[in-house]
Amino acid sequence: MTAAYTKPLPRLDGPNRPFWGGARAAKLMLQRCLDCGTYRFPAARYCASCRGERAQWVATSGRGTIQSFCIFHKAYFQGFEAEMPYSVVQIRLEEGVQLFSNLVGTPNDALRIGAAVAACFETATPEITLIKFKLADRAEGNP
Amino acid sequence: MPKNRHSTRTAVVGVGTTRYGRLPEYDAYDLGVWALREALGDCGLSFDDIDGLILNRIPDYQRFAEIIGLNPRFTTTTPGHGRFSGNCIEMAVAALSAGLASTVALVYGNNGRSAGDEYGGATDIYGSGGPGLWFPWGMTSPGAFHALMARRHMHLYGTRQEHLGLVASTFRRHAALNPNAVMREPFTIEEYHRSRYICEPLHLLDYCLINDGGVALILTTAERARDLPRGPVYIRGFGQASAFAGSAFPPDDFWFEPMQHVARATYERAGLAQRDMDALMIYDNFTPTVLFALEGFGFCPVGESGPWIAEGRLALDGEFPANTSGGHLSESYMQGWALNAEAVRQVRGECGARQVAGARNVQYVCASPIVTSIIYSSEDS
Repeated sequence: MTAAYTKPLPRLDGPNRPFWGGARAAKLMLQRCLDCGTYRFPAARYCASCRGERAQWVATSGRGTIQSFCIFHKAYFQGFEAEMPYSVVQIRLEEGVQLFSNLVGTPNDALRIGAAVAACFETATPEITLIKFKLADRAEGNP
Repeated sequence: MPKNRHSTRTAVVGVGTTRYGRLPEYDAYDLGVWALREALGDCGLSFDDIDGLILNRIPDYQRFAEIIGLNPRFTTTTPGHGRFSGNCIEMAVAALSAGLASTVALVYGNNGRSAGDEYGGATDIYGSGGPGLWFPWGMTSPGAFHALMARRHMHLYGTRQEHLGLVASTFRRHAALNPNAVMREPFTIEEYHRSRYICEPLHLLDYCLINDGGVALILTTAERARDLPRGPVYIRGFGQASAFAGSAFPPDDFWFEPMQHVARATYERAGLAQRDMDALMIYDNFTPTVLFALEGFGFCPVGESGPWIAEGRLALDGEFPANTSGGHLSESYMQGWALNAEAVRQVRGECGARQVAGARNVQYVCASPIVTSIIYSSEDS
């Protein structure tokens, strides 16, 4: 049933499992340090800020800003060939964590650094949902 | 004595390089031995004079030493990341200063081209790092990481595509004068713009060249170096800093802060300043790295590297001739090692048609999560 999906897929059995479970439920889950409050992703046992070991996964705003973007003209995996050239965006979330992702519904030549974005959820396979982003509606008052 | 002064002066006495290109009959060990034989021949020392061994990219230190029948009293090995060339040279200085060894051989062997090594994609073990966390979104190559940095630099400072092209075309003109360079055909800015994109804004010509090859350096104390027939090239300044925190993503400051630390330490040790440099060897895995390094090491103000190089400053007849061998972009991606070899040869005056007249001080700089710099000089202070 997933034969049509040919891009690389994540492992679901590792420490990032809550992130992928959250995505399937349309939530952007990050680990948050219970000692100093710093958010982090990917999963780690210790906080890089305070080295504390206590943390929990929490749902976050899904809001962020485009730090930069690039456009792939070479496909390193066959699954991307149909979309060439495709863009990758570097997002800084309000919580401080950065992600690489894709912007949905925006042509490559309309990508802008500094644009406000909001998470959206794209089903890849029945088990896996990818967190992507779309330009944020200004009416939502995203700073 | 300033805190960055060190009492034991060290020098490069031997330099060896192989041919670069496609050398399928040699593995990484063979390439390392080839380069080491060249380096020993260069300084008139023998294998038995080596009592310190620092390897880079060669898979196994024990096998390498076994192949050449060597029992050093100091041995270490480092991962095949280009940022480790400066790191290794500084380790050699430290080993000599501490008396752990008196003659250190640094040996690099890279059969990446014949072995089919990839920087990007599922088989990449050198470039992308990690377990491919971002592959599902198509973030699949180290070139893309630098493309993101270049795009942001353009956004913040107005850096233009042609500035990247000028770095590439300038180094190619230098390579045209280097018989050992892999790519020697000059190209115009128009040809640069017409070349295909790999990861926009980077074109094919913004990427370094994966090849087979080896480089070796022989370092010893300045005192011992003066007894050898060939004049020593002193390691007059050096420094190192890192920026690992958050380094899964491009740094907001283009590594400016660690480069500033390294610049201060390196110039203070050397008792020299930027203006004293006769040539520069700038780590050029991708063209934007050259711009970031020039800003971080204070050769130009932050954000102005593009227009600064557009005035021809990096050309052979410019203010700071850079990557006179052609560098990683046109000579071969020898991960910093060949740039350091070129620095020594420039100070010795051995570079033929690409020689910088009267070069006395040549600085290697590397902008990456490990920043290093080394000043090679004809005088020890």
